Order: sequence, then structure tokens, then C-alpha cells
Amino acid sequence: MDEEYDVIVLGTGLKECILSGLLSVDGLKVLHMDRNDYYGGESSSLNLTQLWKRFRGSDTPEENLGASREYNVDMIPKFIMANGLLVQTLIHTDVTKYLNFKAVDGSFVYKKGKIYKVPATDVEALKSPLMGLFEKRRARKFFIYVQDYDEKDPKSHEGLDLSKVTAREIISKYGLEDDTIDFIGHALALHNDDDYLDQPAIDFVKRIKLYAESLARFQGGSPYIYPLYGLGELPQAFARLSAVYGGTYMLNKPECKVEFDGSGKAIGVTSAGETAKCKKVVCDPSYLSEKVKKVGKVTRAVCIMSHPIPDTNDAHSVQIILPQKQLGRKSDMYLFCCSYAHNVAPKGKYIAFVSAEAETDNPEEELKPGIELLGPTDEIFYHSYDTYVPTNIQEEDNCFISATYDATTHFESTVVDVLDMYTKITGKTLDLSVDLSAASAAAEN
Amino acid sequence: MARRPDEEYDYLFKVVLIGDSGVGKSNLLSRFTRNEFCLESKSTIGVEFATRTLQVEGRTVKAQIWDTAGQERYRAITSAYYRGALGALLVYDVTKPTTFENVSRWLKELRDHADSNIVIMLIGNKTDLKHLRAVATEDAQSYAEKEGLSFIETSALEALNVEKAFQTILSEVYRIISKKSISSDQTTANANIKEGQTIDVAATSESNAKKPCCSSS
Repeated sequence: MDEEYDVIVLGTGLKECILSGLLSVDGLKVLHMDRNDYYGGESSSLNLTQLWKRFRGSDTPEENLGASREYNVDMIPKFIMANGLLVQTLIHTDVTKYLNFKAVDGSFVYKKGKIYKVPATDVEALKSPLMGLFEKRRARKFFIYVQDYDEKDPKSHEGLDLSKVTAREIISKYGLEDDTIDFIGHALALHNDDDYLDQPAIDFVKRIKLYAESLARFQGGSPYIYPLYGLGELPQAFARLSAVYGGTYMLNKPECKVEFDGSGKAIGVTSAGETAKCKKVVCDPSYLSEKVKKVGKVTRAVCIMSHPIPDTNDAHSVQIILPQKQLGRKSDMYLFCCSYAHNVAPKGKYIAFVSAEAETDNPEEELKPGIELLGPTDEIFYHSYDTYVPTNIQEEDNCFISATYDATTHFESTVVDVLDMYTKITGKTLDLSVDLSAASAAAEN
Repeated sequence: MARRPDEEYDYLFKVVLIGDSGVGKSNLLSRFTRNEFCLESKSTIGVEFATRTLQVEGRTVKAQIWDTAGQERYRAITSAYYRGALGALLVYDVTKPTTFENVSRWLKELRDHADSNIVIMLIGNKTDLKHLRAVATEDAQSYAEKEGLSFIETSALEALNVEKAFQTILSEVYRIISKKSISSDQTTANANIKEGQTIDVAATSESNAKKPCCSSS
């Protein structure tokens, strides 16, 4: 280990592994370490034994639940937007060759005590009871506007400057009802509170476009895809990319301590009495806790079930969004369910998660509206964690700390953080439209 | 360089190479798939997996052989590496007793992460270094028998037994797959996917096509 690296990365969470992969491909000499003996850090997927150890303090799960190895329970459950930034990153790096994906069967939204499928086709939209007939016409005009909107083509703007006009104003222009706004803002634009209404409409419109493009991308029943064997496969896939380009991997390294010089710049990392030198350190918040501040808390229930979530047409994988207004909360609650169909549980078993930004100290009570939608559960575990953002000045200490994963139901914010960190570390902006493997194939010709 | 379409095959078998750093895994792979040997003893970098198509008991089998990319050096192989592997070549160096002693740890890792039906072959490599041999053939043979593994000694440098090693493990995998596909109504290709279809994330839909198809040069 006593060696010199350009970058030492601490923690094998998804963000850290993507960065490790990108930096190694760039030709930097990367050392990547984790205190655990498995990949993924906070974004790992646990087998049954690991789950029991973590939440029950024992390593003997109930026998009737099936083989431990057949479980891959995500600790940060999110679906992947089929046309989103993570898919672009996977294609850009050619990491798709290590992974298999399936479409997520459906997306639902909670309204007045019931769940409704978010329409995935025109036919479904026409039949959906989420809107009345006249409201559907008004919504259709709005969707056509969004579909045609092109940031670079002023003609498509119809006289509206979306960097100034608020989301509320554009919704008002199309005469949409409150229920429709709730549905569009939370189930399509995937905002998790109502702050977006008073922000410039550009983000709102872009998010709806992303939803529509993701829906069209693979024409599954929803805009989401999800990897076989769970999300823990993603950090491992990017770690392999890094290794293929020369990254060095060490697991089970206790107490990785960042060393600083007299002026407070990171110069290396010490673990088990050995020190590796480096120019920059990249890590998750837990490795440099004195350089981060708490900004929130996520609370979650993890459930093992022997049936699909009721009223989802027996979907093997599904998302249900419970908008804040429906629950009288400050932010949305999300249900995420996957199953043996994605190889994350034995045949006949389903894993469901209920997640939200914590607003109380009582997860059982707080998450109850979501848990009540699940029906009977075989097992249920609760966990909460604080979310952190870095407070350091990277130019001063050469430390680049990722933000904690939020409660959102997809990875857009995750990749935005990664791309931002990449730019700060390298001074370059990543062009995700370039397919690296195609570029290198062209170079070989 | 003209890019030929994928050769047609009846079966695709993923086989993984494991074992300590420096035992010659990458040279076994390059010898088998490209008939090449590299004398530099660098840790594996840049090697993904390699494929070769061959005949096994009359069927066309495409072997997809995965190398570790160097992650074994500090015992950091991903559990995903073993995902879907039907065979494993557990390699040690006959001139380095430590690499043979570590076989039991690699075996445990396989049993923890790989499918329980995986075919495991123990390989003692570098038999060309006769004067440096430190692991007796008999010792490895009896260990392999005790653990239920196939066993062969090879020299990637001299291309001794390399072809035979791969042919043997692929034949064993084929036999197991055939037996399984008779007893089950699932097709082999879909054995890992319980329901529904995987999607090709890398496929570019027409509406998203931004660059023209690259022509062969």
C-alpha cells in the first residue's frame, strides 16, 4: 500500500465507484478502499444474513424465508430513469456489458386513499379516472406544449421564457385543476414537495420531458428500469471498469484516516499502519465527518412479503408515489417494490420499501400510510439515516466529499452530484453523449 | 478492420478465472483465446473477458472467459464477478506454495458467491519451471479429489495442457447444462431470468440516434 496515487477514493458507494471508474479511464492512478468487506457502502444490497445482522443483531434469519444468497435487498432503493443521466453514464462508459436490466412493471400514484396507475400509453390515459374528460383535453394541450418544447428553438417557446415564468404561471395558463397539478408535479415531474411551483418552470418542464422520453425508451409499463440482482450490482460494475483501467481495490481496510499537511491539504490515507500518498481524496461523508454538515434525515421501512402490492395488477416491480398533499406532509412518500422477477428474492417473494424525508422521530407511525398499502408482511425493518453535504473548500484541502443519497425515487440527483464532483476534481466537464467504447473502437481502426 | 458478425453458437458459457495474483491467469486466458503469451508479469490491467467458440460434444459453445482485472491482488473481487458463471478455473502457481495454500480461501469465496452447481477446476500453472517446482502433483491431486474438483497442471508459456483444461471444463459444464435442461422446461438461455425479458440498455432507439453508424475501415 505504501505508494503514490493521483486520487484515493474512500467508500465503495455508487457515487464513489462511478468517480473511480471515470478517473481511471482518464488515466489517473486511483486507489479505492472501503472499511467493509463488501462493495456498496451505504448503497449496497444485502443478503438475508447481512440484513438480519444489521437490523436484528443476529445472523440466523427465519428458515422459511428461503436461501440467504437469493436476497439482494437494496439499502438505497431507487429506480433508474430509462433515459436519465445514470443510463447515459452507463452507456458512456460501456458498463452496461456487466449488467442486465428489466423494465419496472408500473408506476402508481396515491390519491384520496386509493392508488391509480400512472398512464403509460394514450389508451391508458384516455381511460384513467385520474382526470375528468374536459381536464384531459386541457392536460393534453399542456403535454403537447411540453413535448414540443425545445430549449434551443424559440419558436417552440410560444412566447414564454421558462427561465422567468414560474411553474405555477404556466399551469395557470393551461387552466389545470389542483388535482391535475398534484399528479403532474409529483407523479410525472417527480418533485417531492411543492416548492417547484414558485420556481422557474424550466426544471418542471424538463422533468416531464425526461419522464416521457424514459417511458418511450423501452416501452415497458413505466419509465424505469432496474438491474437484475439489485442495485448493489451498479457500484461493482463501475469498480470493475476502474480496475480494468488500472484502479487498485482494497476492501476490509479499517479506519481509513486522511492525512493532512501543515497547510491543511490532504496528502494521503493511512490504514492498518500503512500510508498511501495522493494528491486528492474522494470519499463519502462517513470518512471525513468533520467536513460535512447534516441537512436532513431519511426514514425507511424494508419489508419482505409473499405477494405483490394489492391493486397493482400483480406487478412484480412497481413504484407508488404518495404526494405530500394527499398525506398532509411536507414532502412525498415513496413505495418501491421489486421481487424474484429481478432476482432480488427467492421465487414468490417480494421486497418493498417505504421511504420519506423524516418529519418525526417515529418511523413506524410516520410511514404508516405507505405500509398500509402493502398488505401483510412477512418481515419489516425500519431504519433512518441523516443526510449530509460537504462544508469544506475543495481548493484548500483537496478533499471531494459526496452528498448522502436522498429519499428521491430515482438517480438523477445522484449523477448530478457525481458529474459536479468530477468537474471539481479534474477541471473538465464530462460529455455523456460520447460513447467511450465506440470512440475507442474508432481509434483502433 | 472489418468487424464480423457474432459467430452463431448453441450455448454461451461464462467461465471465471480466480486465484492469487501472479499465478498466470491472464496468460492462460490469452493462450487459450488468442494463442499469445506475455512474459511481463504485470498485474492484470485492461483485460475484460475474452471469448472463443469451439465444439463440445458436437455442439457449438461460445466460451466467455472472465479475468479479474487485478481485483484479486488485495482480495477485492466483486460478488458480481461470479454472477452467472457456470465454470471456474482456480489457478495456483506450482512454484509458489502460498498460492496453493490460498486455494481453500478461493474455494470458500466461490461457495459463498457462485452458483452451487458451478464446475470448478483446479489448475497448477507454470510447470515449465521444473527446477523451481514446490507443490507436488500428488498433493494437489488428492486435495482436488477431496474437494470434488477437476485437476490439471498446465504451462501457459509452453501451451501445455491449456487447450485440454478449457475443453475439459467446458465439457463438464455442457454435461450439467444438458442434464438440467432435460429435467426443466426452462430454456438454458433464460435460466437466470425467472420472468419477463431483460432489455438492452445500450441499444439506441431511432428517436435518440445522434451519430451515424460507423462504417468498417
